[in-house]
Amino acid sequence: MEAARLNAPPDWLERIVLWTIPPAAREAVAGDLWETYRSPRQYAAEVLRTVPFVVASQVWRNLNLPALLLQSALIFIFLGGPIATILLPALLLRSAYQETTRPCPRHVFRETILLSSGVMALLLLIMSVTVRIRIDHATWLGLFLDALFLSPFLCLFRTGLILLGDRAKTVAADELPRDELAQAYSKFLDTNLRHNLLQAMALAFTAVCGFFFAWNTLVIGLFVLASFYLLQNSARRTSAQLDFVSLRARYQRELAGQQQLRRFLRWLWFTPALVALHARLAVNGLEEPIAGFLNCVGVAILCFLVTALNREHGGRIQEQIGQLDRAREKISPA
Amino acid sequence: MDSLGQFEQIVLTAILALDDNAYGVTIHAKVEELARPKKAARGAVYATLDRMEDKGLISSWLSEPTKERGGRSRRHYRIEKSGAKALRESARTAQRLIETITQNLGGLAWKQPG
Repeated sequence: MEAARLNAPPDWLERIVLWTIPPAAREAVAGDLWETYRSPRQYAAEVLRTVPFVVASQVWRNLNLPALLLQSALIFIFLGGPIATILLPALLLRSAYQETTRPCPRHVFRETILLSSGVMALLLLIMSVTVRIRIDHATWLGLFLDALFLSPFLCLFRTGLILLGDRAKTVAADELPRDELAQAYSKFLDTNLRHNLLQAMALAFTAVCGFFFAWNTLVIGLFVLASFYLLQNSARRTSAQLDFVSLRARYQRELAGQQQLRRFLRWLWFTPALVALHARLAVNGLEEPIAGFLNCVGVAILCFLVTALNREHGGRIQEQIGQLDRAREKISPA
Repeated sequence: MDSLGQFEQIVLTAILALDDNAYGVTIHAKVEELARPKKAARGAVYATLDRMEDKGLISSWLSEPTKERGGRSRRHYRIEKSGAKALRESARTAQRLIETITQNLGGLAWKQPG
């Protein structure tokens, strides 16, 4: 063990390297770098030559152009062009460094409590800055109570997501026969097909409703386009001729593709509400600080909900991809 | 079907040659051997592998963790049917090029410079 440790990178260097490699490629790339380790200098030089390519590759692999454009458009209308320009590379990097596991409950609750505390702090700030505005005590009390209840409500929501994730069945055992994998893949495709058709109909129906309620034309157009896309991509793929390895690769690609699609759709479903809140904010944000404040809180909560849904679902899908990566074919005795 | 770039051809050939032992380190070593005298960055090999996997030309899986890799797994690669088909197509094109060059330049085409 001691001899093996002598031919290994120093712990501190190893930790830095692990931190820089995107999680999806970490296991294989860090292992390869360790295997070819000769000296700290050679190791560091190799890392510098390798990691930028790996990051760029992960950015490209996880690029979800429709979701990215939608997020950028929302940031643009809420925060303006310069901030959208700054946040765009951050969003790209965030997708490259997306975790390959579901979020840890402790982090989840910390995030939730931080958001609620932020709302509370903002409320106090507005209160101290706008003392001249006549707001009765009952309104302030109501606002404080709302902010107080925000934390348990959001924690409950995240707990629900965690429990749902825990109930989801394991996609692949450590060792399974090819037919069982084919069955699981087929079931996944069927479920997706039903899900996509239902979503397509719901999107089309919402677009029609949006037309009657005079929504933004661009939002209606996006709903219609997404509905067409889902209908067009609902064809069933066959997997009869594939062996275990090819079938697994196809299953993994399909899982990753569906994750990307769902991420975009979740942002799309929340877009009309966000656009409506923005419109209200633009009209009475400055004149009525309480209404403006509530709109800001509404936007923060909606963004939190959609991010939480994406994070939990994305983590689950990444876990399934990882399980498939490690699954071995069980050959039944002839 | 997309045609392969030169580097993709080299990486695919390396995977083909390595058979069951195709993973990051060995693929990179083989690529350097095939691309001689050019050097190839290991990161470029990873990026090409990712791209080809997304295109469905190759597939990958993780092996059992090993001690000589700090308890980490290897990502093994294998050529898929579409990858083999694309590589054959590239080989046919290369064959036609070789024939044409040989016809026009004769034996000179195979002399190493310097």
